[in-house]
Amino acid sequence: MLVVDVLAGGVRGGTAIMFAALGETLAERAGVVNLGTEGCMLVGALGGYAVAAETGSPWLSLLAGALAGALLGLVHAAAVLWRGADQFATGLTLMFLGLGLTSLFGAAYVGSPAPGFDPVPVPVLGDLPIVGEILFRHDPVTYLSFAVAPLLWFFLGRTRTGLLVRTAGERADVLHAHGHSPALVRAAAVVAGAGLAGLGGAQLSTAYAHAWFEGMTAGRGFIAVALVIFAAWRPLWVMAGSYLFGAALALAPALQARGHALNQFALDALPFVVTLVILAILGRRTLRAAPEELRRVFAR
Amino acid sequence: MTATLTQPVATEHTGIPLRTALRTAARWTGALAGAVALFAVLLLAKGVDPVAALTGMIAQAFTGPSLEQIVIKATPLILGAMAVVLPARAGLTNVGGEGQILIGAVAGAGVGLAVPGPAALPLMLLAGAAGGALWAGVAAAMRLVVGVNEAVTTLLLNYVALDIMLYLIYEPWKDPHGSGQPATRPLEIAQRMPLVSGTAIHMGIVVALLVAVAVWLVLRGTSFGFHLSVVGGNPEAARRAGLPVARLILAAMLLGGAFAGLAGAVHLAGVEFKLRPGLTTNIGYIAFLAAWLARHRPLPAVGAALLLAAVTVAGDSLQLDSGLPAATVNVLMGLVLLAVLGWSRHARR
Amino acid sequence: MRTIFAGAALTALAVLSTLTTAACSANTAGTAAPAVSGGAAPGKDSPAVGFVFVGPKDDYGYNQAAYQGSQEVAKVFPQLKVITAENVPEDDNAARVMNSMIAKGARIIFATSYGHLDAALKVAAEHPDVVVVQQGNLITGTTPPNAGTFFGTVYEPVYLAGIAAGKATKTGKLGYVYAFPISQTIDNIDAFELGARSVNPTVKTYAVSTSSWCDPAKQAEAAANLLKQGVDVITQHQDCTATVIKATEAAGAMTVGYHADASGIAPKGWLTGSQWNWGPLYSDIVRTALAGTFTGSKYNANFRVGYKTGDNPFVQSPYGPGVDEETKKLVDAAKEKLRNSSPFAGPVRDQDGKVRVPEGTTPDYETIEKIDYFVEGVVGSLPKS
Repeated sequence: MLVVDVLAGGVRGGTAIMFAALGETLAERAGVVNLGTEGCMLVGALGGYAVAAETGSPWLSLLAGALAGALLGLVHAAAVLWRGADQFATGLTLMFLGLGLTSLFGAAYVGSPAPGFDPVPVPVLGDLPIVGEILFRHDPVTYLSFAVAPLLWFFLGRTRTGLLVRTAGERADVLHAHGHSPALVRAAAVVAGAGLAGLGGAQLSTAYAHAWFEGMTAGRGFIAVALVIFAAWRPLWVMAGSYLFGAALALAPALQARGHALNQFALDALPFVVTLVILAILGRRTLRAAPEELRRVFAR
Repeated sequence: MTATLTQPVATEHTGIPLRTALRTAARWTGALAGAVALFAVLLLAKGVDPVAALTGMIAQAFTGPSLEQIVIKATPLILGAMAVVLPARAGLTNVGGEGQILIGAVAGAGVGLAVPGPAALPLMLLAGAAGGALWAGVAAAMRLVVGVNEAVTTLLLNYVALDIMLYLIYEPWKDPHGSGQPATRPLEIAQRMPLVSGTAIHMGIVVALLVAVAVWLVLRGTSFGFHLSVVGGNPEAARRAGLPVARLILAAMLLGGAFAGLAGAVHLAGVEFKLRPGLTTNIGYIAFLAAWLARHRPLPAVGAALLLAAVTVAGDSLQLDSGLPAATVNVLMGLVLLAVLGWSRHARR
Repeated sequence: MRTIFAGAALTALAVLSTLTTAACSANTAGTAAPAVSGGAAPGKDSPAVGFVFVGPKDDYGYNQAAYQGSQEVAKVFPQLKVITAENVPEDDNAARVMNSMIAKGARIIFATSYGHLDAALKVAAEHPDVVVVQQGNLITGTTPPNAGTFFGTVYEPVYLAGIAAGKATKTGKLGYVYAFPISQTIDNIDAFELGARSVNPTVKTYAVSTSSWCDPAKQAEAAANLLKQGVDVITQHQDCTATVIKATEAAGAMTVGYHADASGIAPKGWLTGSQWNWGPLYSDIVRTALAGTFTGSKYNANFRVGYKTGDNPFVQSPYGPGVDEETKKLVDAAKEKLRNSSPFAGPVRDQDGKVRVPEGTTPDYETIEKIDYFVEGVVGSLPKS
């Protein structure tokens, strides 16, 4: 069934975007924009694939992907929070750095074999009609990803540390008054967020595409940044939005495999147009969801 | 009050004490040297002789044809940087150069397809500027009417612009006599940018330089430029001083978009001749960084654009002589930018 | 507000003054063929040869095959400096890179990607003393005296692979993941289906495009959807091939390779495939150019070589474990037949059942490279243009 195939494709293809977008959510809730998510995904994709190729362990590769992303995130945190560099410019610089570094060190891994994650249907759940096909016939990393958005939601809304992160994003001066360093909290959020983006990259290379290739994220990091606005900085909406973007990407191949031609690009634009329309309609109300300190970044 | 009003302009044009200047120069040199040294370490890690690689790059950049290539590459970057510089004076962040350039190229190509002969060229450039302005205008309107920040909207509009171009070249505008790859039919020779006599450089560079000088003059010597910097410095104060803040913001975005759109049309008519995927390959983003490199001053931005173009062209040597992947040059570019953005002056905190 | 108009006016003035500047000349790049200059024959005694690739030289695909060809040239001509450049996009950057190679002494340039043709012709026009040959595309109109294109009849081994696929499929559904509907690819898809049909008249080929020569994520999605439709043999026309092959193998389906022998990553499902052997042809082109006899030679044109005319640079890959003796015999017989025929020997019908090649006729290479329709049995539609 077409709808089921497209939704299953949306989950399959949306997972990498979701990891990155949740990471960006974390950073932005602490008041920092990371336009370099694309670069963080790329180093994660290569780091993950390279470690899988060298060690033979896919699980270790996830860790490596996260670590690689986090390291690039550390560069962002250092430049922006310690040296006072502009967030947008530094983020874009990070993208070019990620492109270059992965090209320089990734050539050796193009086409090289590496173990990865293959789809493993969940017993019982995977046999459910429709739902089983959409959600429970994927690779283990995708199952893992189901938990990340709820966990982030819980962390931000229900834990003390999450409160610190949100306060860093809303009222840095309050945090300061209570003896916490807003810069430190933000740095932690940026690094952890970049780590999630790296994890997304590793999912892309070791679980989805089963290959490393230069520039293989193909704009997914930027989509993730846009998605955070679309989802109004809420983790669970980010999850839904990621699958929506994924489904938009999955519709063309699903139709083609049934013999229909489709101009993919009209469809590709749709999620961005929808985001813009939502912003135009809700306007200030959407942006009221934006963390206060983030608004200050934008209105600088 | 007066101090805050005049401050942004004053810092730029009053004389800088010699000691501060020396310290700044030392810091810049240190930052750039650090970036190059880090790059050398990375090359060493790849088993490549960094001295040979870097001298190869310099040699590559200073051959005759390369100098022409640098100018050609810098042309859309200069215009793209102006699209950031002018709005930045009013405190606006235009991350949408990439999309505005694409729409400019699309508008230019549309005119080129519809209007035959040499009459098309000026119309193409005008259409490009208008298209870019329109695209930036969407972001300006959303900022002014519903209060959505332009950094968000211009970024989103980049994707819409890219998809519009891909949509057109994939089907409606695809060259029926082409090879089957998505691309429009090439512009007629008469529709292309003429070349500067005796060189391979197209006239776009003259357009770009004139625009840069115009931006410099406007920002420096006109009340419009002054008002923009007042809005950029403190919009609330500007409003209380009776300035038409909304109109100034609109004007800054429209002009910026027009420059980027012009960049797209010039790039199309001077170099590419047809729309195709990868038409801009990050020109808008590199131009954004060039503007930042120059701290949003128009004339230094020309230098920054030339520098980044030179790095790209010199980067050819990395693969032709040192056998490294082509994108390696992005590492050097990234490190230089990072050094300048973060380490060329005192930290803000 | 007046000042805004002043700014706008200044800009307009800038544009106008540029256009009316007298010191300018027409931008004829890539269109006009140069008059042959009185100098030496193009490429004669060149100290170096340049190769331009669109992707990385280790992609286990098209570019790696071309790179290996360039290394064989280095072996055959030890006195030559072989300069290679990978990841050269199919735009004006390609011309820039070629010019850099010329500055480093190259008088012979191989532009190896389909989309490098425009840049190759531009460089050829600017440098009458340099031989520029392009791999895979067609020059329309007059061929400049220092340029040419070359290719194998790629679709012939693909046709043979189609026979193996047609015999092996159990569901009667084959899958084809392709990038763009360029004529080369359409030929391949058609030949694959024609080969399969020749042994299995009801077999269908499902064609899915990714709109990119290498986007692994899109390939993964394409493969997943084909498999979902019940396809049990998948082949492709992509520059990087690992993603589709791994997905196919993981699903327990069968693979027909392209560009390179990838049986290593599909030990169970590998049937056969087609792969490149560029060395001999590259070397012969270089030999011709060095001797100063390029102009007017067979390479100074759209040169094509197939089973009919000589050694196809595109050869059949080894068989996998699942191919039986009967199939191998069928393939051998078909290969023998191709020595004086073509996969497109009539009758060939398109998807609508219309006869495109009448019975009893065999189209020539040039006609085949202009085919712009899917044949009967291919499921999928081409974008209208």
